[in-house]
Amino acid sequence: MNLTRKIQQGIRENLTLEDLLPTRMPVYVNSVAYLFGVAALSGLVVLVLTGVIMAIFGPTWYHNSSTGRFVNSIHFWGVQLLFFSLVAHILTKIFMSAWRDGRWKTWFIGTITFVIAALAALTGFLAQTNWDSQWIAVQAKDLMNAVGLGVLFNPMNIGQVLSIHLIVLPLLIAALVGIHLIMVRREGPVKPIPRQGASDE
Amino acid sequence: MNKRTSAYLRDIPSKPYDLIREGLIVFGVILLIAIVLAAIFGSPDYPTVRSEDVARSAPIALLKTSADILAGKSSLQDYGPPYSADPQNAQKLLGVAPANWFGVTNPIDPAEDLILKPLERAAVLDADIQSALTQYRAASKTQRQQWLTAYSAALDQAQVSNGEVQLPDGQYGPVEVMMQGMLNLGKAGLLEGAIDSGPGLPYLLDTTRSLLFFQDDVDHGVAQKLDMLGEQWGMSHETGLYPGGWWLWPFVFLYQIPAIANSPNADLLAAAIMAIAYLGLVFLPFIPVLRDVPSRIGVHKLIWRDWYSRSDSSPSVDAKDEDGVRLRP
Repeated sequence: MNLTRKIQQGIRENLTLEDLLPTRMPVYVNSVAYLFGVAALSGLVVLVLTGVIMAIFGPTWYHNSSTGRFVNSIHFWGVQLLFFSLVAHILTKIFMSAWRDGRWKTWFIGTITFVIAALAALTGFLAQTNWDSQWIAVQAKDLMNAVGLGVLFNPMNIGQVLSIHLIVLPLLIAALVGIHLIMVRREGPVKPIPRQGASDE
Repeated sequence: MNKRTSAYLRDIPSKPYDLIREGLIVFGVILLIAIVLAAIFGSPDYPTVRSEDVARSAPIALLKTSADILAGKSSLQDYGPPYSADPQNAQKLLGVAPANWFGVTNPIDPAEDLILKPLERAAVLDADIQSALTQYRAASKTQRQQWLTAYSAALDQAQVSNGEVQLPDGQYGPVEVMMQGMLNLGKAGLLEGAIDSGPGLPYLLDTTRSLLFFQDDVDHGVAQKLDMLGEQWGMSHETGLYPGGWWLWPFVFLYQIPAIANSPNADLLAAAIMAIAYLGLVFLPFIPVLRDVPSRIGVHKLIWRDWYSRSDSSPSVDAKDEDGVRLRP
């Protein structure tokens, strides 16, 4: 079996250039509800850009320099916008029963991504290295220990917090968002719910 | 377009669309909003609570914290895994205690790690502390507790004068010198370093022990003043009026229910309820009745109102595209 040929064939059959970068959309795609997903993605890009800048200059920079504080503030509000968009995205997809017609896998990946994003936000609050971080760390450790995750993640260990926030979770989120987007583009937007209601998946 | 999607959308008219343009516009708007909010409101950066601040502004609190830890009265004492071998204290639900699954992976002896070891470092600089430590370690457990009990009781009557703590006379043995040593370490800003100091120096990347030092009364006192306790919905907002993890509201709400908040297994109970709710969300497409609720609510009629009005005007939806092009491969 030629694996390269198999992958070529898989891409050709499932993800054409028009799937990946569409120039046409079904006419029912005509609502602000469709913008929350791209808004969440935009929030993520803002976080990556500001996060990379803060990672380059280091934690003391975003406390002691006015530029650092400003970039940190954009990052902070980027998180708020990301979660506002994500929650709106999830709610609208629920109202649209967007898991219909075989799209449950896309829904599944999306819900996992939401939890990973919440963990990334937690490690972000811990990485602020201020009073909020200090308090959240000693509070969160009880939850982590209670559910048996204390062995994997210690919110009071700033070295571990930073490496997880800067590398592990962003890579995981990038991978999950990538899979989610490929699925969305491959399957196309789900059709409107028929007038009599919907129950099939 | 791939064959499957093409077949799926066979009878659906299409319209021109520019994915990149839409993405860039939305990104620009989100970036602009983030910049404007950052410029107007900034972000929370309330300073950390340091031993130096506590030693100067509330020296009795630092002494009480140290004495409690040394006497084994802190919440860290007998905490259970991952810090101590006390599995009976791990949170349990239906007899299951996940905290015990991996055992003691981060052993912490509160008296030794948070008080005696830092004092041994200070003893290099202060012979009185060295003598006090020698006397303390040589004493019986009962004798130590008598000194500590007397000292803790005396702290309740202690006065602060010119930054110095004045204690009534009493039988404190070496404890008074030891506690003064802790206070001086704090005043010098060396307490956290003395606690966390270890073989990894000069790199201090693990702040676990120094963060645990003030986790009881001092941290709770500060958190209460800043409305950040659990019963104050503390997990879901930051200091001041800044929003925090508001998406945790359903989780934080559980801590407002007395039966959960007052349970010794509160965290595990809340986590279990959230896990069940989350699994319900993940598997919503497969749960009969529940999966049909969204379509009965009717918000989709608003989202697709153009499509439904189009269907109303043309019962068999016209397969012709808005510009005459069909969604075909």
